[in-house]
Amino acid sequence: MVVDDDQDTVAILAHHLQREGFVPIEANSGAQCLKLVHQNEVDVILLDLMMPGMDGFQVVRALRENPETAEIPIIMITARDDLDARAEGMRLGVSDFLAKPVFRRQLASRIRAQLEVVETARSAVAAMDRLEAVRRRSEKAG
Amino acid sequence: MALQPKFAERQAPFVVERALVGEHPAIVKLRALIERVAPTEVTVLITGESGTGKEVVAQAIHTLSPRCNQPFVPVNCAAIPHDLLESEMFGHERGAFTGAAGSRHGLLATADGGTIFLDEIGEMVNGLQAKLLRVLEDGVVRPVGADRATRVNVRVIAASNIDLGKAVEKGAFRKDLFYRLQVVPIKIAPLRDRRSDIPLLAEHFLERIRDRTPGREIAISREAMVALWSYDWPGNVRELENMVERLALLCEGSIIDTSILPENLAASARPATPPVKVKLSDGKVNLNNLVRELEGRLINDALKQTEGNKQAAARLLGLKRTTFSAKLRRCGVIAPPALDECEED
Repeated sequence: MVVDDDQDTVAILAHHLQREGFVPIEANSGAQCLKLVHQNEVDVILLDLMMPGMDGFQVVRALRENPETAEIPIIMITARDDLDARAEGMRLGVSDFLAKPVFRRQLASRIRAQLEVVETARSAVAAMDRLEAVRRRSEKAG
Repeated sequence: MALQPKFAERQAPFVVERALVGEHPAIVKLRALIERVAPTEVTVLITGESGTGKEVVAQAIHTLSPRCNQPFVPVNCAAIPHDLLESEMFGHERGAFTGAAGSRHGLLATADGGTIFLDEIGEMVNGLQAKLLRVLEDGVVRPVGADRATRVNVRVIAASNIDLGKAVEKGAFRKDLFYRLQVVPIKIAPLRDRRSDIPLLAEHFLERIRDRTPGREIAISREAMVALWSYDWPGNVRELENMVERLALLCEGSIIDTSILPENLAASARPATPPVKVKLSDGKVNLNNLVRELEGRLINDALKQTEGNKQAAARLLGLKRTTFSAKLRRCGVIAPPALDECEED
């Protein structure tokens, strides 16, 4: 999901994501992001920080506080040298950051990296389930 | 993840949270999996980049298993020459080969009753892979030059920093051994992909330094922590651990600040895009990519100067508005937002 109050930015990012084979969901505000995240299956959130109304940090906090969305990777988009923004993102536990200007290749590789970590966590859960199934079978047999 | 538990920690009861530090979902689930797989006898294959803590995971599995009072024998398959690895692992009889003056136990026999950790197993040559497969299937070891095989009871944990699945596709690794090893596959994420754990890990390493040197006050400044958080850590947790140790040594006061950070780390805190400086004498260049990058930067600068006004930005670059828009899409540049944010640059 791409979240930015600037329509052009959302359109450009969505266009690039599509070309890289992703299916982007567009949101133009923090509130819309929080609404859409429950209506769609969202793998990664690309989040702009400077938005009128609910800013990016408030969105991060809301996403992290809700168990349903707490584990969705959030990549925040910051101004190049904005140390304060990065410090705040670090404190709130964002997954990664991209500094403007954002280039397509970099964008795609960072998203793929986050998808891979999600997959790593899923494979751990799958392995646990398999072990549990084996244990139950052996209990039954023994 | 602490890569080398220090003496004080070894004395304390083993706690997996202390060995594998982090709150990222991937690491929380990894710890749960370790606790689940440890008491079983199954073979485990650990995959992760170098420095992610594969040996820590192996050791944690051993320590939490019923074999914990038996030997844990780590073997780095890449560090032992190919022709020696077989006799190191399986042992040899007297006169089995030139220089084999006496007979010798192998590492598999040493690990009897315990766990053997085969790191960088992708480096093992095909013949030895076949021999290892027999150990896994029948539990028998035949030393080099011996007529008879002996029985061993060893749990095998293997690790690799390359994707063994791909090595199998290329024919570099035996398929049968791969499937036998990865009964339970464990993947460890690179540190840069679970960046949110960097502050926790840095604090964990600092805590260890404080424990080691009682009375020493040491902390990391907010700016320096942001730099650590922003860096990509190609050497993963091990690199971060070494860096924190090094910074603590360099630090004269009680606060580790950006002034003592090495250049590559300091640069990650200000990832200003450097100007394109390329000479053909440096070797091959990709002109298309460079031109595109330069275009991207100039477009971005023009948008900044014009407070995001595309018409004005296009004029500034001597382009038609349509050409400008097309370039904007192609270069993947995000138009900067309001000027007040840009002025911090």
